[in-house]
Amino acid sequence: MIETRLGEFEEVILLLTGILGEEAYAYKVAEEFELQTGRSVSIGAVHSTLTRLEEKGFLKSEMGKSTAERGGRRKRIYTITAYGKKTLAAARDFKQSLWEQFPGFATSKLSFGM
Amino acid sequence: MEDKLGPPRLAQKLLRAFLREDIAEEVEGDLDEKFHADLKSKSKHKAKLNYWYQTINYLRPFAIKKINRYKVMNNYLFSNYFKISTRNIFKHKMISFINVFSLAVGLAACVAIYLFVSDEQSFDAFHSKKENIYRLDEVQKFTGTNEQKVALSMPGMGPAIKRDFPEVKSYVRFWLHGKQLITKDDTKQLIENVMVADSTLFDVFDFVLIQGDINTCLDRPLTILLTESTALKFFKNSSDALNNTVSWDGRDYQITGILKDIPENSHIQFDALLSMVSYTSGENNVNNSWGGNWMTTYLLLEPTADISAMEEKFPSFLSRYIDDPEINTTYKLFLQSLNEVHLASNDIEHDYINYRKFNGSYLTIFYIIAAFILLIAAVNFMNLTTARASHRWKEIGVRKSVGARNFQLFGQFIFESVMLSAFALVVALLLDALFIPMLNDLIGRKLSILPLFQNGWQLSVVLAGTLSLGILTGIYPSFYMTSFDLSRVLKGGNKGEGKSVLRSTLVVVQFGLAIAMMVSTLIVIQQLSFMKESDIGFDKDQMLLVNMNREANEKFETIKNELQKQSMILGVTASGQRLGNNFHQWGFKVIADTGVLSITPSNVNVDYDYLKVYGIEVKEGRGFSKDNLTDNGYAFVINESFANELRLKETVGTKAGHGWYDNDSLGTIIGVVKDFNFNSLHYKVNTLALVVHPGWGYSELSVKIEKGRTEEGIAAVKKVWDEQVPSYPFDYTFLDAHFEEVYRSDKQMSAVVAIMAGLSILISCIGLFGLAAITIEKKTKEIGVRKVLGATESQITVLLSRNFAMLIAIAFIIVSPITYIALHGWLESFAYRININLLVFVLGGVLALAIGLLTISYHTLRSARANPVKALRYE
Repeated sequence: MIETRLGEFEEVILLLTGILGEEAYAYKVAEEFELQTGRSVSIGAVHSTLTRLEEKGFLKSEMGKSTAERGGRRKRIYTITAYGKKTLAAARDFKQSLWEQFPGFATSKLSFGM
Repeated sequence: MEDKLGPPRLAQKLLRAFLREDIAEEVEGDLDEKFHADLKSKSKHKAKLNYWYQTINYLRPFAIKKINRYKVMNNYLFSNYFKISTRNIFKHKMISFINVFSLAVGLAACVAIYLFVSDEQSFDAFHSKKENIYRLDEVQKFTGTNEQKVALSMPGMGPAIKRDFPEVKSYVRFWLHGKQLITKDDTKQLIENVMVADSTLFDVFDFVLIQGDINTCLDRPLTILLTESTALKFFKNSSDALNNTVSWDGRDYQITGILKDIPENSHIQFDALLSMVSYTSGENNVNNSWGGNWMTTYLLLEPTADISAMEEKFPSFLSRYIDDPEINTTYKLFLQSLNEVHLASNDIEHDYINYRKFNGSYLTIFYIIAAFILLIAAVNFMNLTTARASHRWKEIGVRKSVGARNFQLFGQFIFESVMLSAFALVVALLLDALFIPMLNDLIGRKLSILPLFQNGWQLSVVLAGTLSLGILTGIYPSFYMTSFDLSRVLKGGNKGEGKSVLRSTLVVVQFGLAIAMMVSTLIVIQQLSFMKESDIGFDKDQMLLVNMNREANEKFETIKNELQKQSMILGVTASGQRLGNNFHQWGFKVIADTGVLSITPSNVNVDYDYLKVYGIEVKEGRGFSKDNLTDNGYAFVINESFANELRLKETVGTKAGHGWYDNDSLGTIIGVVKDFNFNSLHYKVNTLALVVHPGWGYSELSVKIEKGRTEEGIAAVKKVWDEQVPSYPFDYTFLDAHFEEVYRSDKQMSAVVAIMAGLSILISCIGLFGLAAITIEKKTKEIGVRKVLGATESQITVLLSRNFAMLIAIAFIIVSPITYIALHGWLESFAYRININLLVFVLGGVLALAIGLLTISYHTLRSARANPVKALRYE
């Protein structure tokens, strides 16, 4: 079995970071998460995951700009690394291959359904 | 002034207090941004609340400041405490050992008791609807028999109650068949516990069905459910078993389900379940059966059901179904909650479906004992620490003069005692790991301390308990030691230590508890041996009981003749029910001068020479004889209680018979036997009628074997059995083993009490040993002076022992009456009991005194014999 080394939450956070691009910092990622999944999450939880993903080498970060709403404090912007992208793709391919082996949900059915 | 638009100040402060500095900027920024965004979409209040929520959610390991940077001071303080404590512990090895060991033994005993109690309390807890499950019980008050609570009900009651009471959601009945022979092709297996159950079983109880359909598996006649281990006796695996058949009693039953083995902590235990429909679909539908009580009924009620309101409606319910004007004087139905069945059924008879039934009031006793032992151990700790305080005056004095505040010293002493108790806990757990398997053997349990570590909640209770024990026992000594006046301490003169009233009181408490437990143990052991030794009116030793089936009954005479040829077999007989429990009760009538008397005694169907083989004494008339043809079914032997109840002028010769006999075709009472305790000694002897009905079939063969030739006897019976009864395996037990089982709960309690009494004496003595060492050491000078002035060794020994002896005597005087009352209460639960002999108390007291004096004698003798010159040179 391929080891993806990504939990479900981690995978979503990683994807969201990629989606947000320049705007990927803890608060925005948490907002985006709530928006996309409908599940509520604390900034702390997202921040801790981002830190962990950075430690694993899937993300890198640097301090970005500040705004008035932030009381002049800077944000930490995360960007996805090449390794992170590779791992995401591997995770997707792995799941894809599992879905294809799943008899009731073969992709052909999905594409022709409805 | 608070900034109206800013985030809550307090939360910000908190955040800054714990947040790692290098991420503080980004986090605060994020939270501010979130707060301002919230202000736009939500109320100010909600935005602030959310800020708090976000702050709390940053309490994560990655975001928190490293503790050691923050608490340098504290760490240094604790390491100093630790160092001083360790030094103190190792400096006074004996005292420390006594402290740790007695606390450890106390804690180990508590943990063991806790495991025992929580095991008992875990019974039936796995049923998800347990709060709403009730057992239908009866109070029966038949004429001529003791009033009794029974766990049985009539087969018709379950369905009728479901019909008539809207608050009853479902019911399930069990009908015990006991040990049965089940076959599959060539495989014959005696299955220990076979029952019949309603198809609603799984609506009420949560037994786990691993194969088969939970909704329909008991719906059809001639179907059977097997537990996994039963299925494996016949089939290779449980899948093979499903939908296959097994035979019982000449018929094939389809296996419609495999159950996971019944958990140990279920009061309902079975190995195979037949479908009740097998008995309700034919001509004799048991659902219409009223009058006889031979099922156990459980009801699942609506959560809103009012139990007492239901019970009030039972009399009219009974009148509706049973055409008997007396029904409500002879029967009273009541509901017993499922969580009481295991622990609160001690006064309930005919309680056959109640595995490992236990007297719940004993659990309270166990808790009290645990508290006692812990108290005794804690007393040791407090006593030794305060008594030893003088050794630490210098330390305290120096600390104080350097500027230590009282609370700092206090903290140090508390730390020390917590450290000792933590250490004791480790030792306690080791002791438990070592001794619990032995305890299990003794009391027949499967306790283990492992679950304690898997259950975080329990573990934290244990840890918190130990911590608070350390703090509580530490408080008094710490307070005592920090309260010394600095100037006096440093002057080193009279250290202001008089006689310690408190210390003496504690010793009194300790020995009081130890004496109480010792005396209790003696009384409990006496009562149990009384039950074992007392003349129960028949001979239960060397009596082999063999399970009989139909073929064995048919060939009974042959088997009996064959067996009687053997020299080591002293007698052979048979009966319908086994001694040791109440016998089934049914109607009996007697023609008296005043008319027909209807009475409901216990009844038992026996073989002709039952009385002879069991050595039951006939007081009047005669026993059964095969030579009288009417002795088959028409001759009755009653017991004295029954004869007294009847109060006839001439009991023997009176016309009598079973309740269903016609008045003009009754039999005769042919004899009266001396009362014998066919039921356990917890109960008074009930009225009893014995009758010979070979046609009804006997359930057990009784074979009396000569003492010392038991093995030979068993082999002989087995040989005859295997020849004569190929259809049923030779399955035997001994009557005295069965009686052991009857008194198991009492025995286990006595074993636990005895162990705990031993431990409490042990801990008390260890404490006394330490205390004696300290007090005598303080008197070294005094002893030296006395010796120089001519005191003899024995005078000095007496002098030193007198104080301790006095304390033990006081303890004895205080504790004796209390113990007497408590033991008297316990003995009340036995219909046949010993009288409390006051000598036992004296014995307990003398024993405590002797053990106490012996303990301190090591120190007293040593100092009495010591050379006075050495004593006077000291200091």
